[in-house]
Amino acid sequence: MKHLWDYRVNDPLPVREWRPDILQFRQFAEVSGNFNPVHLDDAYARRAGLEGAVAQGVLTMAQLGAMLTDWMGEEGTLKSLEVRFEKMVRAGERILCSGYIKDTSLNALICEIMVVNDRAEKVLSGSAVVTFNTPEN
Amino acid sequence: MISKDIIGRESNPVRIKIESHMVRRFAEAAGIPFSNQVPPTFVGTFGEGGIDGVDLLQYETIHVEQKITYYQPVSIGDCITYTRRITDVYERVGRLGKMIFIVIETKGRNPAGEPVFSCSSTMLVLGRRAEDETPLGLSG
Repeated sequence: MKHLWDYRVNDPLPVREWRPDILQFRQFAEVSGNFNPVHLDDAYARRAGLEGAVAQGVLTMAQLGAMLTDWMGEEGTLKSLEVRFEKMVRAGERILCSGYIKDTSLNALICEIMVVNDRAEKVLSGSAVVTFNTPEN
Repeated sequence: MISKDIIGRESNPVRIKIESHMVRRFAEAAGIPFSNQVPPTFVGTFGEGGIDGVDLLQYETIHVEQKITYYQPVSIGDCITYTRRITDVYERVGRLGKMIFIVIETKGRNPAGEPVFSCSSTMLVLGRRAEDETPLGLSG
């Protein structure tokens, strides 16, 4: 099994697939306290010029967070996560979260991360810094 | 009105205890595994703590950027005190005309007063939220 410290520059991170739907946007509104109707109501979203309800940015970001924590397991700690939301994520799309190692140091990996939809449009881009956990003596 | 005058305004401190059920519900709603660990983006939902004179709910906004820095691990059972603060308001001219951006930073501390996380969100403010059926000109 490949350990976190075995990763080198340009190595890809394991991909996470996500199928967003409007029920999930409504559930996520409850836990995030973001009740902006563009996430909850197709008709409202269309009046706002969108093609339908869109995902909360923080929900899309949570998928990336899960991609990173699944990958790191107990071997790493997330130090920073920075994202730019570039396009809306709509219900019914097939969304892929991915990333690769951009740079390494003695105790950390710097990752470029991105989220694309099934039309190969980048909906989010960003970076993450992960440090290696040292086993307790 | 959102203008540079509100830069520096901050909320009162909000004290919360991170309970297992809150984290489980967050993970379930996000569709991510829950294993008694706090997902890294959980702190991005800490939105209590109103800021005087700033009611973003009156406006149509788009979340354009978020940056989270973690200084210490966040675990179930931890008590966190966080404060929200307007750190910037700026304008850009884009394809929708004049665009106003607002940056809100949420800083969390542990009971010893040490920083635990800092979370900075940039919102694009599109205008007042429509009460009628006027199109807002949002585009995806």
